[in-house]
Amino acid sequence: MMQSAPFNFRRIIIWIGRIVLSGIFIYAGYAKLFRPDMHPRPPIPIAISLFALQIDSYQMLPPWGSLFVAKTLPFAEIAIGLLLLIGWQLRVWATLITLIVGGFFASVLRAYALRLDINCGCFAKPEPLTGMTVLRDGALLLLAVLMTVFAFQEARKPHPWSASTPEQST
Amino acid sequence: MNRRLFLALALTGALSAATSLLFAAPATTRKSNNPKAPAAAPAPQAMITVNGVADIDPATAFGSKSATVTMEIFSDFQCPACKKLFTDTTQKVMENYVTTGKVYLVHRDFPLPMHAYSRVAASYARAAAHIGKGEVVDQALFQNQEKWEANGDVKGTVAAVLSPADMKKVQALVEGKTLEPLIEKDKQLGQTVPVNQTPYSVLHTKNGQTFPVVGFVSYDVLKTFLDQLVAQK
Repeated sequence: MMQSAPFNFRRIIIWIGRIVLSGIFIYAGYAKLFRPDMHPRPPIPIAISLFALQIDSYQMLPPWGSLFVAKTLPFAEIAIGLLLLIGWQLRVWATLITLIVGGFFASVLRAYALRLDINCGCFAKPEPLTGMTVLRDGALLLLAVLMTVFAFQEARKPHPWSASTPEQST
Repeated sequence: MNRRLFLALALTGALSAATSLLFAAPATTRKSNNPKAPAAAPAPQAMITVNGVADIDPATAFGSKSATVTMEIFSDFQCPACKKLFTDTTQKVMENYVTTGKVYLVHRDFPLPMHAYSRVAASYARAAAHIGKGEVVDQALFQNQEKWEANGDVKGTVAAVLSPADMKKVQALVEGKTLEPLIEKDKQLGQTVPVNQTPYSVLHTKNGQTFPVVGFVSYDVLKTFLDQLVAQK
């Protein structure tokens, strides 16, 4: 009976994950493209090149890799954020978001461990890479992992609102 | 009455001239008697403003003042990332953008307190820049960073690339401390940006846009960005 309730613990985590992570992804993509922190706002191609410089400062990718990621990541963040919010093919987008957040976390953790003098380009605006940045990204990764695992677990069961449960049928 | 007024004015003028001569003379004498005084070196040039960027020491700036982009680089001679930026990126920017009049490059000193010799290195580099030997000394300091970082011999590193006459001028400027306020000014400007690490570049366009670029960046990525800024109308 508890498992078929519309709002059990797992579903609450999934909803929180969807709302929080989609909001973060959509805002992160928007901020990288439109630079709300800058006045006057630069045109999108310049904002993308500026983001490429931030990626490049991590010294993890060759120059062409930094440029490629800068040109694709902001659009991908907005698209995946919207898809996660809508909930269509949830497990696919939740997995993808977990992989991306995991990648961000690994990059931030590596830069922090190596004491690289760089700024986190997470939300386009330069912010010093501190222990708080690592904790924040770690918390987001945890949320993404939980959301994805619970999404897979929930998918094995019939939806409480759309299908009759074994208890109801007997 | 007119004659009295004329006499009074003439007397006042003569007195003023005598007074200024009296006070100026000992200073000139002190300068010429002191071998360590920076008399042999040229006087520091006035700070200039280019592209809306104020307090630029022309001795540490390169390129055309009418360039589309002004790039300030806050740097510390003892910082490894600054060395990497200088050798891998800045020198290429100098070749391809500064000499072609597209970018006006401004070196800003930002010696970090955690580096024992960065302030001394900044003093020597600034002094060398004021006698027109800035580029060669900057290069020597960055290329031999590990050596003088280990033994503290900044002076020896600079002397190795300058003629004895030039080194004498540089030494006079360093010991005279006349250029220290310029380094301090750069540092103050950096704190207002705020520069929280080095290297830290700030790019300014003619239409008032300002772009911070933090840390080391490779030339190829910076080139893409500079091309877009230069092409902007």
